[in-house]
Order: sequence, then structure tokens, then C-alpha cells
Amino acid sequence: MGLVMANDQNIFSDPSNLLSAWMKTASDFWGETLKVWTGPAKDREDSPASDSQTKSRAQESLETVLKTWQTLSKVAHDPGTSEAFSNFSHTMPDILQKIIQASWQGLFHVQQQWLEKTGKIEQSTQAYSFENIDKNTFKIWTDIYENNFKQFLHIPQLGLTRFYQEKINQATDNYNQFQAAFGEFMYLFCLPMEKSFKVLQDEVAKMAEEGTLKEDYNTYYRLWIKILEGHYMNLFKSAEYVQAMGRTLDTLQEYLKVRDAIIQDWLKAMAMPTQTDLDDLYKEMHQLKKRIRKLEKKS
Amino acid sequence: MEKPKIPVDLILSKLAEDAEKAQVRAQKASDVLLQALDTEIATTPYDVVYEQDRIKLKHYRPITDIQYKHPLLVVYALINRETMLDLQPSRSVVQNFLEHGVDLYMIDWGYPSRKDRYLTIDDHVNVYMDDVVDFIREKHGVPKIHLMGICMGGTFSVIYSALHPEKIQTLVTTVTPTNFDTDQGLLHIWMKAVDADRMVDTFGNMPGDFLNFGFLVLNPARLMIDKYVGFIENMDNKQFVENFVRMEKWIFDSPDVPGETFRQFITDCYQKNLLIQSKMEVGGQRVDLKKITMPLLNFYGKYDHLVPPAACEHLTRQVGSADVEDICLETGHIGIYVSSKCQREFTPKIAQWMKTRDAIKRPAAKRRKAPQKAAAKRTRKKTVAS
Repeated sequence: MGLVMANDQNIFSDPSNLLSAWMKTASDFWGETLKVWTGPAKDREDSPASDSQTKSRAQESLETVLKTWQTLSKVAHDPGTSEAFSNFSHTMPDILQKIIQASWQGLFHVQQQWLEKTGKIEQSTQAYSFENIDKNTFKIWTDIYENNFKQFLHIPQLGLTRFYQEKINQATDNYNQFQAAFGEFMYLFCLPMEKSFKVLQDEVAKMAEEGTLKEDYNTYYRLWIKILEGHYMNLFKSAEYVQAMGRTLDTLQEYLKVRDAIIQDWLKAMAMPTQTDLDDLYKEMHQLKKRIRKLEKKS
Repeated sequence: MEKPKIPVDLILSKLAEDAEKAQVRAQKASDVLLQALDTEIATTPYDVVYEQDRIKLKHYRPITDIQYKHPLLVVYALINRETMLDLQPSRSVVQNFLEHGVDLYMIDWGYPSRKDRYLTIDDHVNVYMDDVVDFIREKHGVPKIHLMGICMGGTFSVIYSALHPEKIQTLVTTVTPTNFDTDQGLLHIWMKAVDADRMVDTFGNMPGDFLNFGFLVLNPARLMIDKYVGFIENMDNKQFVENFVRMEKWIFDSPDVPGETFRQFITDCYQKNLLIQSKMEVGGQRVDLKKITMPLLNFYGKYDHLVPPAACEHLTRQVGSADVEDICLETGHIGIYVSSKCQREFTPKIAQWMKTRDAIKRPAAKRRKAPQKAAAKRTRKKTVAS
């Protein structure tokens, strides 16, 4: 017992021995199992069919695997290999550390970029004006998306379903871009609200100082609506708003186009007419009607 | 005692007073909203006398003797519906025309479906409008008819009159955009940035709700907030509620716009401004405004935020007719047709103007040799009605 314990301690102290022992045990186990499974086949050796014909495909595969294990086990006992395993066990913590370090640095870099950029957004929001809206404010989000995520959606797709997968990825990408543009649009659209309340507060403060405050709160509502309307008119005429609106529409349409293409794929698979099929038909009908009208006028 | 700068007591008493009023109003409003309301629109009787594809021609039943030799055809826009001209009996352009003895026809463009996406301006003007005009001419045995266009329908009427002047006795354009190179209206600014090709390729037809949303955000303070605050303040007034609901029914009844028509209207008109320059092509023919030689009456609204005066007032200077008149009413895009004040000025003026030109010979077109001199001699009038 004491000898076994000593042997066990020896095994655990050296990783190469541990591996060899494990491979030997595995080899012995699978060898015995194989003998049990192949036994019945050997019993039938008197049958006219050859040995290879009587073995099942599963038995053949197991035998091949076992042989490979046995070979590996032998090689593992080889002093050179044992040394290599021993060295690997010493260097493994270093390698793992390097992998973790690289991943962490990458993650930290992305996080740092995000923090810097979100900081800029806050800065821009505080200093807004219709005439001089920071054009880069919302481009930052798009940049983050495009630099850190978008490329994953554009990894070349392989195999039979590559076109379908590509469309799904494209739809995801287009939807994200639409959301970014829509966010910018809504931000601009809500700015007059914020600004009009501020102007209203200034007006009320001024009235209070002058002692001209009105008792009818409807007066303040009318004043606010007038201020709000004025702000919207200014905003709507600004190039920034027109560009944001254009981007929102463009990205929405790009998304809808790919979404429709995916729906059309499904309809095709279900042997149903797609919108393109119907449009082709409508176009043909329209042209035919025109030709008939011309012919009728001639006759 | 010196008057306080903040009249706290007055503000509080006013608040208490308003709270009581609001409670009474809420009770009355509940009675009003729960009872049967008359919110029907377009109730003036008519017969559908002609149909082609999705379009219908309405002929309104006369209520008095017909006073005109030539019937009047009204062409509405493809955006929203012609029911706006007959919202309620007391505010109905249709009723007013009938009372003046006008033999009235109106095109109902219907609801375009996906199969209509390839219909162009050429189809609307040279097929549907032309067939309708021919039908009316044949039915009445007259060579010409009076033509009145509203908004985009006015633009179609201008194109039609330039391409088929021999069939039109007089032309009335109301809030009709013909000059699109202006920054007065937001639509004109926005449409320049719109990629019409991409939109049509994506949507097929332009969804009516999408367009309506676009019109709402032209003035969100008024159209999305103040309008409904006004409704809440008047919910206890049955007549107000009925009129409000009628308007809501009309304004959100938005057919889609056929894709190819939308594409051409945006690119040729809003983006290239071809019509006013007589460079627009429809059905392979150039739309030469100088061929509009019939009398022309041009109405527009001073406070129109959709089709501002700058988009309308150039037309009378570009046509070939010597008998032209601009009338600028102090109202907005819809007010011309629905405000009580404009009802007293708008329809009677058109009825009177058409009457004096109903049987007369068409005024001679200007001489082509000296267009500038001739233009100076024209009896061009501009009226600003208040």
C-alpha cells in the first residue's frame, strides 16, 4: 500500500508520468472492451466469410482508434516526448497569461474608446445649438459600430446557405445603421422641446422681475407653443436636420430592401409568388394596356 | 400697499376657477362623446357616371337650374381625398357651386393598389383626365369644359391644359405648385434632399400614412400638440367635436401615391423645377406653358406652409393667356376650402369669373414675336383678399 502511495506521489509530481499513466489506463480499458465486443465475431471464425466481412463498421472504427491510442501511449513513454510534455507543463502558465493579457488589453482598448467617445457626446449635448450642432456627435456611435462590430457581419459566408446568411447579416447591419440614424434624427427632433422650455423659463423669470406675471396659465401655454413653433421652424430649415432626415430615410430604405429580400426567399421556398413576381406582372399589364390604347386610337 | 411682483393669490384663485370649469367641461364632454354624432363627410348627393380602373367620375345632382353652358370638372390631388371639398353642408365648396348653378363633375382618384405603381403622370393626365374630359364633352355636346385643379391636381390641370388647350374653356388653379425653386416652404427644402428613386424602389407606391406623417412633422407644435389641446378645451361643444372629427376623418384618409408618379413629380418638379420653365416632358411631349391660352384664375394662400405663394404666383407670368388673375387669400393650404370666411369669397368669385367667360371666345394668344412687350400689356390682375 505504502509502495502504491509512493508510486502515486511519484506519478502526480511529474505531469509526463501522469499523462503516460492516463493513456495506459485508457488503452487497457478500451483494449479489454474491444475484446469483449469482438469476441462474438471471433467465435464465428468457422463461418465461410472472412474476418473483415464479419466485423461491423463500428468495431473496425474502434479498433483503429485504439491502435492510435496505443501508439500515442508508447510515444508518450518515450523519454524525449516526456521531456517535451514536462516543459509544456512549465511554460503553459506563461502562454495562458499571454493569451489573457492580449484579450484583456483589446477589451480595455475598446472600453477606453467608448468612454472617450461617450464623454464627447455629453460635451456636445450641453453646448448644442441648431446653427452649430456638432456633426460628429452621432457619427461617433456609428464609428464605434463600424470599427468594432460591423466587420463581423461582413465575414465571408461559406457553403450552400451562404447567400441566405449573407442577407441576414446584411439586414442586421442595415438595421443597426438605421437605428443609429434614427437616434440622431430623434435627438434633433426633441431639441426644440428642451430649448423652448428653457426660453419659457427665462421669459417667466423676466416677467417675474418686471412684475408682469399673468394669473392665467393659458397665457404661458400659448407663449410656449409659439416659442416651440419658432424653434421647430429654425430646426427644420437647418442643413443638419435635412441631412439627418435624409440619412434616416436612406438607412430605413436600405434595411427594408434587404428585409424584403429575405421575405422573398421564404416565399420562394414555399412556392408562393413574391412581390417581384407580382411587380413584373403589373409592369407587363401596364405596358400591354398602353399598347392596346395606342392600337385602339389608330384603328 | 404695493402690488406684489408675483400675484400668487390671483394665480391660485384662477387655478381653482379653472379646475371647477374643467370638471364641468369633462362632464359635458362625456355626454357629447357618448351621444350619436353627425360626423359624416361628403354627403352631397352625386352619381358615378364614369369609371376606369380605380378612378370614378362623380356628377353632383343639380339643386338649381344650370347657369353655365360648359360644365366644370374639378381635379383633386393624389394626396388625401376630394371629400375635403364637401366636409359638411355649411362648409362645402361643392354645395356652393351647386347653389350657383354650376354643372359639377369631380374626379375621385380612388385608392391606388400595388398594381398601380407603374402609372405615371402621363397616365393620369393623358389617359384618365383626357378620357374623363372627352366623356363630359361628349355627354354635354360641348367642345370645351371649365377645369379647376387643387394642389397637385392643379399641377395636373396645368399640364393637361398645356397639352390639350382645345378642350379647356377656362382654367382655375387653387393652391397649385408650379414653381418649385423656392425655400419658402419646408416641403420644397426637404424634397430636394429626398432620394425619390430609392424611395420608390423600396416602397413601390408611396404609403399615404408615411406622407401624412411627413405633413404632421412640418409643424409638430401646432399639428401634434396645440390641435389636440384645442380639442380638449372644446370637448363639451357638440358642433365643435363633430367638425373636428370630420376634419380628422378627412386628414387621415390618405391613399398611397403611385410610385412612378411620385418619382416623376419629385425629380422633375421639386428637384429640377422643369414645369415652370416649360421643359417638363409628359408622355413624350414637352409641356409648353405658353400653350395655355384660355383664361386663367390662380388662387393661393398667403400663409400656406405646404404650397407657399412663391410656388404659385409665377404661373400667370409664364402662360400664353392674356386673361390671367392671381388671388392671394389670407389663409393657409386648407383654409381656402374650409374656413367660413373664405367660403364667402372663394366659390362666389370662381362662379362669377367663369360666368363672364362661359360663352365668350377664347382671348387671342400673345404674339410670339415680342413676348416681353405683350406680357407687359396683359390684363394681369393680382388681388389680395383679406
